[in-house]
Amino acid sequence: MKTGEIITNRLLQDEYYRVEFYAPEICRTARAGQFVHVRIPNLEHRILRRPFSICNCTEDGVLTVVYKVVGEGTRALAGLAPGMACELMGPLGNGFMPPKDGEYPVLVVGGYGSAATFMLSQNGGKGGLVLLGARSASDLLLVEEYRRNGFDVRVSTNDGSAGHKGLVTELLTEAIRENGDRPVRFYACGPTGMLYAVAKMLCARNLPGEISLDHLMCCGVGACFACVVKVKDNNADGWRYARSCNEGPVFRAAELYLED
Amino acid sequence: MADLTTDLGKMMLKNPVMTASGTFGYGFEYKDYFDLRELGAVVVKGIAAFQSHGNPTPRVAEVTSGMLNAIGLQGPGVDKFLHGAEYMPFLRSSGATVVVNIWGKTVEGYREVAERLEADREGIAALEINISCPNVKEGGAAFGTDLKLAAEVVSEVRRVTTLPLITKLSPNVTSIVDFARCVVDAGSDMVSLINTITGMAIDVNTRRPKIANLFGGLSGPAIKPVAVRMVYQVAQAVKVPIIGMGGIMTADDAVEFLLAGASAVAVGTAIFADPYAPLNVIRGIGEYLDRNGCKSVREIVGAVKVR
Repeated sequence: MKTGEIITNRLLQDEYYRVEFYAPEICRTARAGQFVHVRIPNLEHRILRRPFSICNCTEDGVLTVVYKVVGEGTRALAGLAPGMACELMGPLGNGFMPPKDGEYPVLVVGGYGSAATFMLSQNGGKGGLVLLGARSASDLLLVEEYRRNGFDVRVSTNDGSAGHKGLVTELLTEAIRENGDRPVRFYACGPTGMLYAVAKMLCARNLPGEISLDHLMCCGVGACFACVVKVKDNNADGWRYARSCNEGPVFRAAELYLED
Repeated sequence: MADLTTDLGKMMLKNPVMTASGTFGYGFEYKDYFDLRELGAVVVKGIAAFQSHGNPTPRVAEVTSGMLNAIGLQGPGVDKFLHGAEYMPFLRSSGATVVVNIWGKTVEGYREVAERLEADREGIAALEINISCPNVKEGGAAFGTDLKLAAEVVSEVRRVTTLPLITKLSPNVTSIVDFARCVVDAGSDMVSLINTITGMAIDVNTRRPKIANLFGGLSGPAIKPVAVRMVYQVAQAVKVPIIGMGGIMTADDAVEFLLAGASAVAVGTAIFADPYAPLNVIRGIGEYLDRNGCKSVREIVGAVKVR
């Protein structure tokens, strides 16, 4: 099993942390949208691994994950000191396809979903647009990092504490209008409700988009069928359950089965 | 190094460690982790005569020292299982010892899938009849909690196949021993136990059940003492080989089952924590035997000292 020694593990803001693992083997092949499945040490009564989107990978083997403390597992992770190690499975899942030549990338992200799409902004300075939505200013992550990579950043918050007061999908409507006939590829990661709203908007306009969608996960490799999402199928029902870990977590917007 | 060869009557295994159905997919999902021939047997996720969506999500919830699941037997159906590249054709080429877990919604459904597998049995070492899935409304538990239906399913399947038959028993009954006796009388060559224990978990903030299906099957270390007790009781009551499972995380856990009377064991939920768990258990059983001067794993089957 691959292990990742913790290089740094620091509070980023509010309840968000950034952990860096030394994991050269994973970094060699990891792409935006893929994930690592982390076994939290010293937490034996919590037996399952925790999946985290890969935020960044460097050539010298530093793998970055940005996470929010939401429960016992992430709280234990936040308590791990540099020098300690976690068992890591990965990179797992299908990542985002990079934009085709001439396509302009537009990232639509909610909360810490901005971590999953971050490596898409490392496109050699060609730039793009990221629409960052969050509940509040303190939930906006990686704003400066995206800017440094040459991306335009537009922000929305539910409470109006930063940027546009409202939903990130409102920023998306505007971005779609502005870009007119220009070839654009959309990428989205964030809360499930937001992702389905984005997928519906893209499908209604016949625009190409890739959506990172998942559900509670156990094995991470397609064996347990816990993390399924509905995708279109040519069976009698018109849909089937696809495993988000190995058939996703990135799905084309057009392949998702969208219920009313 | 002690001999790990395991004699299950109609089936010989190179070692006593299998994967528990539903926790190892169809083997294909773990092909990049290790050579499947290292396992005593690969027990695949339940196969029915038809394709099945399974239950709505959320399907799982982590609980203290375990998890609840209500996957609901999502599966490709026997046609796709026999011919789809990532199912039986892959398993045949892998050289693994394959046990196919089967289920149906009716007695005829069980018979149909068994017939289909019998007709295309190359590479199949045995069938495991699942009469104990707690998570499907029709079939599954209905057959595992009714002695008459359990006997009917097993004898129908017995009629259409000469493959070795394992029947997987439900712990959600008053007396698992009665079910063990009943399925053995109906023609089962072995019994495997335990399937998951029906449970429930509630999110106190939303006040909603954590599992869409309301109830789920509890697995993991939390259930091991229950499973060991049931294996012990069944071993006192039937002569056929027993495959013991329920919360095995380590080789010591597996040895407990062997001492209680199981001839082989299955590792399940532990695989989610560590895909290499079954291999670690195999190695650890060998080390236990060497440490204790045993020449063969068979020496410790049922060797618990009760007085």
